[in-house]
Amino acid sequence: MVFNSYTFVVFFAIVLFLHYLPLAWRTKKINLLLASYLFYALWNPPFILLLWLSTVVDYQMARLIWQEQRPARRKMLLTVSLVLNLGMLSYFKYGGFLLENFTAILSAMGVTFQAARPDIILPVGISFYTFVTLSYTLDVYRKKFAPEPSFLNFALFVTYFPHLVAGPIVRPEDLIPQFKTPRQATARQIYQGLFLLSLGLFMKVTVADGLLADTADLIFGLPFPVRTLDAWIGVLAFSGQIFCDFAGYSTCAIGASLCLGITLPDNFRYPYAAVGFSDFWRRWHITLSTWLRDYLYIPLGGNRKGRPRTYVNLMLTMLLGGLWHGASWTFVVWGALHGLFLCIERLIRDGLDRTRRRRTAAHQEGALSEGTVISRAALGPALSLRGRSGQFLLALLTLFLVNITWVFFRATTFKGAGLLLLSMFGVIPNGAPMLTTTAILTVGLVTVGIIVCHWRMRNSSLERLMERLPWWALGMVWAILLISLVLAQKSTSSFIYFQF
Amino acid sequence: MNQISFRKSAFLAVFLVVAFVAGWEGYWRSQNYELAFNDDESLWSYYRSQVYESSPARPVVIGSSRIKFDLDQNTWEQITGKKPIQLSLVGTSPRPLLTDLGNDPNFRGILLVDVTEPLFFTPDGAFPEKQATRRVKAYPNWSLSQQISFRMNRVLESNLLFLDEEGLSLPALISRLPIQDRPGVWPGPRFPLAWSLNRFDRQTAMTRAFLRDTVMQNQVKAVWNDVREHSPKQAVDGPLLEAILNSVKKSVDQIRTRGGQVVFIRTPSDGPMNIGENLGFPRSKYWDRLLSHTGCRGIYFSDYPELSRFRCPEWSHLTPRDAIPFTRSLIPILEQKTGWKIARHSATPPLVSSTL
Repeated sequence: MVFNSYTFVVFFAIVLFLHYLPLAWRTKKINLLLASYLFYALWNPPFILLLWLSTVVDYQMARLIWQEQRPARRKMLLTVSLVLNLGMLSYFKYGGFLLENFTAILSAMGVTFQAARPDIILPVGISFYTFVTLSYTLDVYRKKFAPEPSFLNFALFVTYFPHLVAGPIVRPEDLIPQFKTPRQATARQIYQGLFLLSLGLFMKVTVADGLLADTADLIFGLPFPVRTLDAWIGVLAFSGQIFCDFAGYSTCAIGASLCLGITLPDNFRYPYAAVGFSDFWRRWHITLSTWLRDYLYIPLGGNRKGRPRTYVNLMLTMLLGGLWHGASWTFVVWGALHGLFLCIERLIRDGLDRTRRRRTAAHQEGALSEGTVISRAALGPALSLRGRSGQFLLALLTLFLVNITWVFFRATTFKGAGLLLLSMFGVIPNGAPMLTTTAILTVGLVTVGIIVCHWRMRNSSLERLMERLPWWALGMVWAILLISLVLAQKSTSSFIYFQF
Repeated sequence: MNQISFRKSAFLAVFLVVAFVAGWEGYWRSQNYELAFNDDESLWSYYRSQVYESSPARPVVIGSSRIKFDLDQNTWEQITGKKPIQLSLVGTSPRPLLTDLGNDPNFRGILLVDVTEPLFFTPDGAFPEKQATRRVKAYPNWSLSQQISFRMNRVLESNLLFLDEEGLSLPALISRLPIQDRPGVWPGPRFPLAWSLNRFDRQTAMTRAFLRDTVMQNQVKAVWNDVREHSPKQAVDGPLLEAILNSVKKSVDQIRTRGGQVVFIRTPSDGPMNIGENLGFPRSKYWDRLLSHTGCRGIYFSDYPELSRFRCPEWSHLTPRDAIPFTRSLIPILEQKTGWKIARHSATPPLVSSTL
């Protein structure tokens, strides 16, 4: 089920009704669990078995790991859990990809091998709930906390419908404690939740689907080069679309959950105002980046094993992060580019730190000897990189580079990505003009709107903004969101991240 | 902001939304806008799921827009007792649909294929082919959730005019803004607002406003000219045509092997459109070859005086009034050509045009 459907409206109304009946908390949790299974089953009922399998196995494995004292046996139990979870993920998500590459390698070696084309349907949300259950088992293995004694709480933690199919990727500590005591939203939380639902739907239905998707689909679907302007507008359209689609889903999830009195972690924090790539990953798909940091980057050694190893770890983490998004080499390149930019940023930062330390030392020396040193880098006479304008320029530079990476994320082939990149940088000068003036203006205005909004909000939050606005202004904004939803009309298309 | 302020905001928002919706709906009602159903993936999937019930009295119909206008489903129902399963898609080639039905091991029914040559013989990967392929691919993923939404949406669309995605949605409204296009960019066909409508049974019909307004009719003629100008100058030929014919034959054979039957129909076109089609796609090279290659029977409108006596106000489709006698005449011709028993004995011809 998707949030942008009439089915969800009715489903959610019934869930809210049941949640606010004077029933025991355990009964309410059972209601939520059954509702979550229904939410999932209405997409493709048989795949609920996978969800059950993952839930039962990880619940049991975590208990066994906790009870077991012998390190080797604990490791073996953990391996069983990892093999099962990652095995399911690999089969459903990467089965075709692996077979395709295996065939290609054999073919390169001169061995003719024609494999039957696997007809595997990717269960929606498998990457998300696999990471949710993995984090639980890994944390129990690390003795971060004891396994949850209540199967109901654990099953609800894995299956809770707002986050189930496209995140936020919750951690046990985010959710399980909230299930232990009765939760009921305050009236204020319900209003806030409904506002967030409206905002999320506006982002998805009006902006992503209504204003940007067609332009992005057109440009990325063309097998020939286009004008530089068209190429950039196509990429900017996708850049806005993927943000509004995914952040829209997260906003809906957080809003729906808030109406039930349960808070979910933030997943986006105005990423297109990020200054640098490490800042970008602190703002984009936060629950994935922190998951990768805690369960991959740090276990690999993080930055504790010397500088070269830090870069290797960064690259490995981002490569796997890319592959998590999809079974295609274009996603791997997308991850590699992010890893590369993170490494370059780290190099620059380390270099600047060293320079700063040297200058400080020299300054101290100079102060002693009454000499003069330049203590701040600047782009021009009045434009310090640490000033607001300089930071804005750096944010635009980051966004520029992020847009380059989106080309590999959206293009289905390297040839397509190459053509588009060549068009973007004017290497192919006589590409075809494809976009109407209306499409260019629409994408341009939405892009500027997103950048301005992100820049102004980058150190703030929506909650703070809602607090500051007078009631009538909030009411007007809310009405505009809803009217634009009505005007955009029904859109039952899936969210982009469902495929991951 | 405290709880009371949030409540005030929410009430203000609800009030403004209700006022807007009422005003918006009222405005379009005052403009005599006609009620229509969105011809979307869900509506198509709803009928796609019924193809296994097909019979000579209830054939599956695939094609482009012409058969959606020209075959009056109410008339068909009055004569045969059942409505056809209309799967044709406006502006597309029916070949992906034919391939889909050919590959469906459970389809062994009766299939009428409407042939509009410039669309039918479009190469793989061209826009009309891709659009139909997209629809075909969406069907297996038509989830239970979408099916429930579809049923709820049916109630809403039956009552609210403004829920017309093609005419009144935000993207549609934006695309109609009077903004000059860049030189060299073709925005695609831009039809006048509300020149035709789609009904729940996927019948397409010209609106009353269109039938009254010759300016609008000329606008649609201009659209056809525009489309022709931006279409490939050369029709498919040689190995490409051979490949298309082979793929059609393969699907037809698949259906026949399972006991199904396929008939091709060439529905009327008029004026310069008809002349252009005859020049670009000579009958002997395309239509006749299609029939001989597949071994199927075909009905070409100009071979039958009772099918060729109609004028198309915009050169390409029949009016709702003419679709009635056209359909009434088509059924006995189909029976005669195929030997199928289609009409009920007690059938009485309808007197009035179908309504929504």
